[in-house]
Amino acid sequence: MNSRSISALLIYLGLLSYAAVTLFPLLWMVITAMKSGRELFRLPPSLVPDLLVAGTPFVNFVAVFEKSGFLGAVLNSMLVATLAAVGQLITCSMAGFVFANLRNRVFTGIYVLLLSTMFFPTEVTLIPEFLLFRQLGWLDTLLPLIVPSFFVGAFGTLMMTGFFKSIPFEIEEAAILDGASSFGIFKDIYLPFGAPALASLFLVAFIANWDEVLRPVIFNSSPEVKTLPQFLLDFVGQYESQWTVLLAGSFLATLPLIMIYIGCQKWVVAGFARSSLK
Amino acid sequence: MNAVQRHHLRIAWWMILPCTIGLICFRLFPILASFLISFTDWNIIGVPEFVGLNNYIQALTSPLGVKVLLNTFQYALVYVPLATALGFSLALLVDTGIKGAVFFRTLYFLPFITATVAIAISWKWMFATRFGILNAFLSWLHLSDPIAWLSNPNVALISVAVVMVWKDTGFYMVLFLAGLQTIDRTLIEAAKLDGANRFAIVRDIILPQLAPMTFFVLLIAMINSAKTFEATISLTNGGPNNASTTLGYAIYQNAFVHFDMGLASAQSWVLCLIVGGISLLHYRLQQRKT
Repeated sequence: MNSRSISALLIYLGLLSYAAVTLFPLLWMVITAMKSGRELFRLPPSLVPDLLVAGTPFVNFVAVFEKSGFLGAVLNSMLVATLAAVGQLITCSMAGFVFANLRNRVFTGIYVLLLSTMFFPTEVTLIPEFLLFRQLGWLDTLLPLIVPSFFVGAFGTLMMTGFFKSIPFEIEEAAILDGASSFGIFKDIYLPFGAPALASLFLVAFIANWDEVLRPVIFNSSPEVKTLPQFLLDFVGQYESQWTVLLAGSFLATLPLIMIYIGCQKWVVAGFARSSLK
Repeated sequence: MNAVQRHHLRIAWWMILPCTIGLICFRLFPILASFLISFTDWNIIGVPEFVGLNNYIQALTSPLGVKVLLNTFQYALVYVPLATALGFSLALLVDTGIKGAVFFRTLYFLPFITATVAIAISWKWMFATRFGILNAFLSWLHLSDPIAWLSNPNVALISVAVVMVWKDTGFYMVLFLAGLQTIDRTLIEAAKLDGANRFAIVRDIILPQLAPMTFFVLLIAMINSAKTFEATISLTNGGPNNASTTLGYAIYQNAFVHFDMGLASAQSWVLCLIVGGISLLHYRLQQRKT
């Protein structure tokens, strides 16, 4: 064996061993979700789930849907993640259009203030936001998880501004000579041109809002408005021993994200990489 | 101001309006209010009472405050080196361009986009002392007695950190990969022709050239470790006996479990100073290099 194939072998060894580390917790989640309550507490733990062998692998997955609150939590999470992501697209693309085109003292001031807020961790704004939402009567509704996304997004605005700046000036000039309105230019030139950035922004915002725990836990405590992470946390507290059903629920909670990732991998990775690089 | 800009100006004020309202209501006002609250004693129901720097003194010197800061530091000590070193190694392996590298890159990033609570709960079952797979594995290898991963005060914090390392490593790998793209490949080719081995190439070419990205990844990793919350609430609730309570979790606990708004606000500003301090340090180091 020459040195080249030895080094290839070592590389594969490294790649495969970390692949096992990456996959195992996910795999174990699915395996456990396909076990019966009795099989769960067998020692040593069995690697092949008994319900799969018995030909009824989805019993626990069905059981999750029968738990009160699960379906509602799925719908709430869908609603929150989708609307918050749409809100980000609207506000960030509009603000990006302005910041990419116009610089006067007011606009630059707003832009700098907006970017400087990125240095403050969300924990800082949490308590006053709670007070604000309490004042508005928004606690125990989904509004605190959705509305702010329609108004402000520092990272998204930064990303869209950068993207829009690369639009050639001549195209706009020509469009204006043809009698296009500003909004027309925004709609027909900027938005199509910014589609890849908008796709990334949507996916990153969707995933981040789906994953959010802190804000739902603080702002919402009534059962009708709980999101999936909250449902799972409550479940741990209530039925600690029903791990099979709990892990079936956990898998279902993460499945949409995995599907989005597999479907739109390029945009997701690009979006998250950009969200930190700037 | 040119013709295009004048054309846009009329509509611009309207398009910037949501952003301005949001900036004021959801960012600037809360930041200012939080700063003021941090100097008061307030249980959210009564009238806030001005107490000067008391909350900051409590956050920095009370036994629990110090414990939280030490925990945060310990957590970072586990999380930051592990996650960065793993992310860097994986980036090198994937960057070899070996057949199937794209598949592995895709796979390694996967944990980063999974739902944190869901995956932490899955780990919680793996950590179970009696029936968990990790202890089953240890006993199968005859390595050690069962470990109480989440209820032993000396281990719980490390367990939480390990879960987050598992989740975030793929993200740091992507950042390192982006950094590797900027390295001048001819240098590496030349070194290879001169007979340099892989190790020497990593040490003498890749590491120095990648230094800015490495600093950046360290910065992000440190900030992430100070803010950790989701894994803590899912795995340990900060226990046992606050052994795994880090700053991010303590803020939540003090504000919305103990209703000590002043202390929680002060702690959030301590967190802010840590984040700001790290960013400033990073900025200074970068300035000195260029």
